[in-house]
Order: sequence, then C-alpha cells, then structure tokens
Amino acid sequence: MSESVNKQGFLFYLTAILLIFSFGLQAQVASPHQKQYIYDHAQLLTDQEKADLEALSRELGEERQAAFLIITLNGTGEKDIVKYVEDFYDQEAPGYEGPHGNTAILAIDLQERDVYLAGFGKAEEYLDDGRLDQIRGKITPDLSAGRYFQAFSTFIATSVDYMGYEPGVNPENILFKWWFQLAASFILAGVIVGLMAYRSGGRVTVNAQTYMNHQQSKILNQKDQYVRQTVTKRKKPSNNPKGGGGGGGITGGGFSHSGSRGKF
Amino acid sequence: MILHYKCPSCGSDMAFDAESGELSCQSCGRHENIENFPENLTFATFTADEANEYHCENCGAMLITEAETTATHCSFCGAGIVIADRLSGHLAPAKVIPFSISKEEAVQAFQKWCRKGLLTPKGFMTADRIKSMTGIYVPFWLFDLNSKVQVHAECTRVRHYSDSNYIYTETKYYHAFRDINLDYVKVPVDASEKMNDELMDKLEPYPYDQLKDFKTPYLAGYIAEKYNFTDDQLFTRAKDKINAYIESFISNSFAGYHSVRYQNKHIDTKNMTSYYVLLPVWMVCYDYKQAEHTFAMNGQTGKVVGKPPISMGKVAMWFGGIASATFLALKCASYLMGGGFW
Repeated sequence: MSESVNKQGFLFYLTAILLIFSFGLQAQVASPHQKQYIYDHAQLLTDQEKADLEALSRELGEERQAAFLIITLNGTGEKDIVKYVEDFYDQEAPGYEGPHGNTAILAIDLQERDVYLAGFGKAEEYLDDGRLDQIRGKITPDLSAGRYFQAFSTFIATSVDYMGYEPGVNPENILFKWWFQLAASFILAGVIVGLMAYRSGGRVTVNAQTYMNHQQSKILNQKDQYVRQTVTKRKKPSNNPKGGGGGGGITGGGFSHSGSRGKF
Repeated sequence: MILHYKCPSCGSDMAFDAESGELSCQSCGRHENIENFPENLTFATFTADEANEYHCENCGAMLITEAETTATHCSFCGAGIVIADRLSGHLAPAKVIPFSISKEEAVQAFQKWCRKGLLTPKGFMTADRIKSMTGIYVPFWLFDLNSKVQVHAECTRVRHYSDSNYIYTETKYYHAFRDINLDYVKVPVDASEKMNDELMDKLEPYPYDQLKDFKTPYLAGYIAEKYNFTDDQLFTRAKDKINAYIESFISNSFAGYHSVRYQNKHIDTKNMTSYYVLLPVWMVCYDYKQAEHTFAMNGQTGKVVGKPPISMGKVAMWFGGIASATFLALKCASYLMGGGFW
C-alpha cells in the first residue's frame, strides 16, 4: 500500500521536474527580439570592443529578459538627449521579448557631454529613477576619463545586478552584500564564542546593589542651575536630485519610462 | 594552645558536620549543638613553647603546620584540631559562615558543573580525576564603608526643531551639583596571601544571614588559616571594589542630561568598621592531561569558579555553527527584504 503511494509520489515529482525543465529549455531556446545592442554613432569603440559589448548585453539580457542598449552620439541634431532617446524608442521599437519591450538605454552625447539613462517596460519598474541615478554615479567618472568601454560594461553589469532586487529597495544596501553578511556572521560567532570562553571560569555575580545600604545611600542635596544656551542651524537637505535630474517621462508614442540625466 | 573535640558518649574524635551544622561523632553518630557545647569538653592545653611546637592532644604526635594554619588534621591520627592561640586576641575572628555543603555534595556539585561546560573537553567533563578536595576557612575582612561624594558638573540638554528651511540644534547648559552619601556594608576582601584574589572575588556573594558568632568547633575537621593582611592594608582594595559602584551611582544621578562633563569630583571613602571573618571555600585540585587545574567552590552556595581547559574542537564547532546559522539568517533576511538570496 505504502509502496504504491511512494511510487505515485515519485512519478508526480518526476513529471513536475520534467515540466519545469522543458519550460526552462523553451525559455532558453527562444531568441530575443532585439538583434542590435550597440549603436556607436560617435565611433568610440573598436570593432572588438563593440563585439564584446554586444555579446555581454545578449548574454546578460537573457538573465533579466531585458535589452540593454548603448547609444553614442556626436550631436543630437538640435534635439534634447531625452527627446532623442524617447524618439529612438518610439521609432526603433527595441525590446527583449518584442517591439517596445523591456529596454534599458544608456545614451551619451559627446557634443553636449550629456549622459542619459532610461528604463522602459520591466526595466522602468526595476531600474527606477533612483537606481538609474546610482548607476550613472558609478559610470560618470569612467565616461569623463574617456574609458567608454569600461563605463558601458559597468552599465550593463550593474543594471543586470540591480534588476535582481525587488523594486523599492536600495540595491546598494549593505545588508545585501555577501561580504558584509559573512563578516557579520564571523564577528557575531567570534563574540559569542569569546564570551563563552571568558565566562567558562565563572563570573562576578555581585553588582552595585549587593552591598549597598539602601536606607543610608542617597542624594543629600542637588542643584541644577540653568546657565546659557546656544542655537546652531543648518540648511535642510534638499530633496532635488543633484546633477541634472529630470528623471523619467512619457515618449511621444505614449510609453512611460524612468530616467536619469547628467553631464560627464 | 590546641583544641580537640572528644565525643561525650564514646570518646571518639568529633568534627563539624556541614549538613546539620553541628559537631558530630563519626563513631557513634552523636550530635552536639555548637552554641551549647560544654566548655569542659574542649580540651585545652598550653604547650611548652607555643610559638614553635604543637602536639596533638589526641595522640601526642608533633604537629607540623605552616605559620598561617589555624585548623588542620593531625597527620598521625587524623583528628581535627584547632590551634586556639592563633585565633585569639587580635587574631580572633568576629564571625564565621560555616560550611553547608559537605565533601560528598561538593564533589557532586563540581561534577555537575563540569558537565555543564559548553567548551570543556569531553574527557574533562566526567570529572573523575579529582586529586584533592579541601575544605578551607579563608580569612576575609568585611568592610563597612561610607563614601561622601560631591560632584560639580557642566551638563547639557539638546533639542532639535526645524522650520521650512533650517534645522535648529538648541543646546542648554546647566551647572549641576550633587551631594551624595553612599554606604556599602560587608564588602568582603580576602586576607589570605595564598588565595587568588580574582578567584575569591568571583565566589561572592556569600549568604550573610548565615554569619555566626565565631566558635572554634566550627573549624574542627577543616583547614583554616589566619589572615596575612590587616584591614588597614586591605582598605585600598576594598575601595577599589566599590569604586565602579560609586561611579555608576554618580552618573545615574545625572540621568536626563545628554552630556555630562565633570568639573570637580570629590570622593571621600572612610572605613566605618571592619570585621575579621572566616568564609567557607572548597578548593578542588584536578588532574587533566598532566596539568593541574585549581577550582574554588563557595562552601555555602556551591558556586564554582576557576578556568577549565578549553577544547579547540568544541570552539571550532560552536564558531562554525553560529557563523553559518547567522549567515543563513542574514541571507533569508536579505531575501525577505527583496534583495535576492545570492
């Protein structure tokens, strides 16, 4: 009796595992809608670098089901960079799973030295203005120094990393860092074991109350005299994001997006 | 002068019995209340040269003792004897707390304590290598201390408030004065040179309701010593012991302020009275891996102190266990907060 139940259970699990596997394979087999990831109009990258970034974007994009695009420009043709990126999204219809899909875009304009990051679809939710600000903060020094390949790689890797965190949490929270978790565990274990070893020899169990004569021990006399006061003031930290800001918006084609804008 | 207690019924040697708190005869089981013990049965003899030589009142053998010893066993006949002239005059203890834990109970309590050690090696936990278990009355001075404290301090209270543009920090300064009287009574300080101060401090507290007027029969069957240090010599150590208590009382008296800067702190501690008392301690010598470990047990409460050996294996086990459990917990917390598991 129990054996047949076990067999049934085993078959059930086997089917479940096979189903999950086949779904996983399907997802892997399906090729992304997006074919081109790097639009290097300003000719900042060598062919090899371009190929490397294409490969990186394709490989990591699959993990998050989003297309990570990089656009370099030498002048936007009278347009603002935000408008340029919005129009690009409307016209080119990029996306991982289909046209106008999940897309994160990094655009830089060498003439105005503008940098703009935008997230569409799933990337709008997972790469909100705040997270795009954080990414921009990470890559701006590399952009300013002309290390474009380095900056673009960081953009792709960091965006992929940040999309692994639920929306609304700060991905740079120290609690999420494995090295912090490891260090905290070691310190806690060390403190507890150290305390155990220290206390193994017995500990002092008397305190200030043990020998005190409570009837006689008291404050006989006390004085608290107000002398003077000082007041210092400092400006409230402003809530406006520093260095450009702007954030997201809605494209002419009606697609809402997140964004972060700055100079490099 | 040697004191030795004979049983009124059978003439055998009597010794103090920790369980009943009375003198008891090992042969016939007769118990004698110490408060009512007839003085004529206390055999008192003055030896010819008191300073150097004592003879056992029971068998006449010469007693070889250290200069501090006030109670011991005759090494020939085993009778418990008390050297009374080392307990008279300025050497007379005012009070004594008798043993309430017998040798058998002490062995059991020690074994139980060893089993509880979380880091002690397995071989040690069985506690089957007790080399010796000695009941000692350790000389202590109990100090009644009075401290008069006057403190002047500059204290601040800090308040934050804000309007639409600025955050304001308002600091109010006060001049505060405290006049404090503190009485600490019966602060014990061990007066024996041989005993480790740290070990003796950890044995506290002693149940002071068990303090009895000193009578020599309490010492029969145990080892006792006379003090090596006078109360004057130990006064600084007594002051050190209560110093932290005084400091914490002072800082508590300034509760409510955000910062306190002492300008003038005057603490005057006086020794009001000090008594010489004997407190009961079981000393345990234990052999483990060719090394001798010494432990002390409070003869009233059974509290054990002393450094047991530490097993590196157990330390590694606890460390690894706690570290991996914490790591897992942090991972789960990070997952629940939306940070992903990896």
